[in-house]
Amino acid sequence: MSLRKTILGISAFMALVCSAPALADAADGEKLFGQCLACHQIGESAKHLFGPKLNGMSNKPAGLAEDYVYSGSFKKAAQSGLKWDDESLDKFLEAPLDFIVGTKMAFPGVKSEESRASIIAYLKEFNENGERIKAVVEPKIIKPIVIEPRKLATEFVVPKHGVLHLGRRALDEEVVAWDIDIRPDGLGLPKGSGNAIDGSELYENHCASCHGSFGEGTVRWPVLAGGEDTLTEERPEKTVGSYWPYLSTVYDYIRRAMPFGNARSLSDDDVYAITAYILYLNDLEDEEFELTSENFTSIRMPNEENFTADNRHEESYRLTNNSEPCMNNCADIPARIIQRARVLDVTPDSE
Amino acid sequence: MGWISFYLPKYIVKNEYIVYIFSKGYREWVPISMKRRTLLKRGLALGGGVGASLAGSNALAAQQPETLITEIQDWNRYLGDGVDARPYGRPSQFETEAVRRNVPWLTADPKSSVNFTPLHKIDGIITPNGLCFERHHGGIAEIDPADQRLMINGLVDTPLVFTMEDLARFPRENHVYFLECAANTGMEWRGAQLNGCQFTHGMVHNVMYTGVKLKHLLAEAGLKSNAKWLLPEGADSSHMTRSVPMEKALDDCLVATHMNGEALRPEQGYPLRLVVPGWEGNMWVKWLRRIEVGDKPWHHREETSKYTDLLEDGTARRFTWVMEVKSVITNPSPQAPINHGRGQTVLTGLAWSGLGKIKRVDVSIDGGRNWKTARLDGPSLSKSVHRFYYDFNWDGSEMFLQSRAIDEFGNVQPTKTDLRAARGVNSIYHNNAIQTWHVRNDGTTENVEIA
Repeated sequence: MSLRKTILGISAFMALVCSAPALADAADGEKLFGQCLACHQIGESAKHLFGPKLNGMSNKPAGLAEDYVYSGSFKKAAQSGLKWDDESLDKFLEAPLDFIVGTKMAFPGVKSEESRASIIAYLKEFNENGERIKAVVEPKIIKPIVIEPRKLATEFVVPKHGVLHLGRRALDEEVVAWDIDIRPDGLGLPKGSGNAIDGSELYENHCASCHGSFGEGTVRWPVLAGGEDTLTEERPEKTVGSYWPYLSTVYDYIRRAMPFGNARSLSDDDVYAITAYILYLNDLEDEEFELTSENFTSIRMPNEENFTADNRHEESYRLTNNSEPCMNNCADIPARIIQRARVLDVTPDSE
Repeated sequence: MGWISFYLPKYIVKNEYIVYIFSKGYREWVPISMKRRTLLKRGLALGGGVGASLAGSNALAAQQPETLITEIQDWNRYLGDGVDARPYGRPSQFETEAVRRNVPWLTADPKSSVNFTPLHKIDGIITPNGLCFERHHGGIAEIDPADQRLMINGLVDTPLVFTMEDLARFPRENHVYFLECAANTGMEWRGAQLNGCQFTHGMVHNVMYTGVKLKHLLAEAGLKSNAKWLLPEGADSSHMTRSVPMEKALDDCLVATHMNGEALRPEQGYPLRLVVPGWEGNMWVKWLRRIEVGDKPWHHREETSKYTDLLEDGTARRFTWVMEVKSVITNPSPQAPINHGRGQTVLTGLAWSGLGKIKRVDVSIDGGRNWKTARLDGPSLSKSVHRFYYDFNWDGSEMFLQSRAIDEFGNVQPTKTDLRAARGVNSIYHNNAIQTWHVRNDGTTENVEIA
């Protein structure tokens, strides 16, 4: 078959099978779906989380997920006949809170049209039972192999650094791109600022769906606020305010790992604002508070002094190296059961 | 294709025969009585006595000849898979129980979660790669080794970038080390909770690593005189970081590319992970992309909010790196009860210490009243698990099984009472206490606490 015919054949094939916008790519959609995983599952073992599971929802009326408690406003939208098709899903994903005011889906939305189309294409690959219906197999593009003559061993340049002269010098731009860590003394803090008011909006959009609007945590996601004076209680609540020794850890962690499933997507100023808002949620600053690269290291966390070095070796039960543990008749009465795991019944099914 | 149809022929059932239909019209007639097991496996309901072939393993119960022995079995007659059927070999189809399992209610999301090594289904000291427990903070990063870079920056003479090809040119070493999550057994602080050593102790595995000593990489970059700490960082979406003191880094840390002879598994950090022998698993950064050199620790999230040990007085220990001496009996255990009744019995388990070798393991069958020293078998390597056995004649009465490990420095595994008295019940991490299994007189076994 000539190349021309092949290309024609491929485009006819593509035209037949692609009803979604041309740029939709379910494989890309699968990756992009990572940012949804904090709240949504899809697939055969999918369960409802903060959001409903998303199996087979395309081209069906909205609000059909069984046993899932929708928000009032979502229910209303569903009752008024909202149907999930490419168009409505696209609008919803672009700005969920604008499309259905009051939805639980406190997610800022996907800005890129292409990304939305890809996510929708991915969602459509799952039927109601969560089985993935294999989508179109894209024709493989075979890159021409260019064979270059192998370099002679003597043509390689040996660097001068180090002992074995291996690796190459990292360029400044490369170090800047990866070196994002912050220390309690402020080393690594980027120039910038953000206030708690701006932080509140960012937090609501990016963080509240897991951590709760007041930092109270949903399901088993970490609680961020409250818990002061609980560390000696039976059920201590270890939050940023009650436990974390340094504010730099908050900034560093949000910047490197949050939002869950969409890491490194916030600007440095966004991170300042969210950090300021978390201080506010913990009653450590008021709502007017602005956190900046200048005032950052002046803020001390309440629990800083309560961390100690590893002194496990000083624990009193430890035998000295010279004494042997008891081998015979180590107790007067026979062993009796005081607690059974089976009673608590928390062991997962081993089938 | 002929071979496949020969191996898996179509068949019909006709009168007293199964008729196997092979390619080219060839048929073979086999009396049903000879193929009972095959048919049972395929789910065909047939009347008639099947007792003999379903008889248990107790030799005394065999009142009539076992058809397993008196009849020719499929695998005795027919050809099996050829060499290319399994290009990467898998465990036997019958080993369905030897799998990692998780505890769904422990964490909010499987992308930031943990599962457990089936300790009761393995033997020896090496954990097979596919059974090493997983703990991810942002799912498994899938990285093409051609895209892998390792950067060293900070307090060094020359900040460097290495490719995998560069790393393959350093002198490399092989070491067997255990990796234990600091939270292993963490669910048991308040009392017996999970029924199975997989769940109570399965956040440990033991693997032979091939890798480059970290000190060689650091020497290549050249350490400044005030270089005291390292910050390894992962490339996954959690960008995992931990502060590691320089003495440890220059002592025995490895940058590993292989586990048990093959490239690291994706879930274990392919293509590159840090190995921090004897220290808590969280520090063994997977998908390692960068090592920063500094003069102070960074106090990042995984060494402040997490992996610090809250004590009863409200203070918390930090930088509790060493995984202390510990052991567990893996068989019998709740997932592996005794099915053979009284008589000769093998008790086995694992012991390890983050400080060095295991010197001795004692075993008790009466809840710690009397102890016998178990037999250590297999290689005894520093910071590796040790396998112990205790072979004895069980009289069929109930038992309270315990094991107590002692390392080469004389550190003795503590009791739960000792640990709770010293730390309270809110430490989460570093629970290395002695475990008790209750074996009933019918051989069933459960996780209990005793007085």
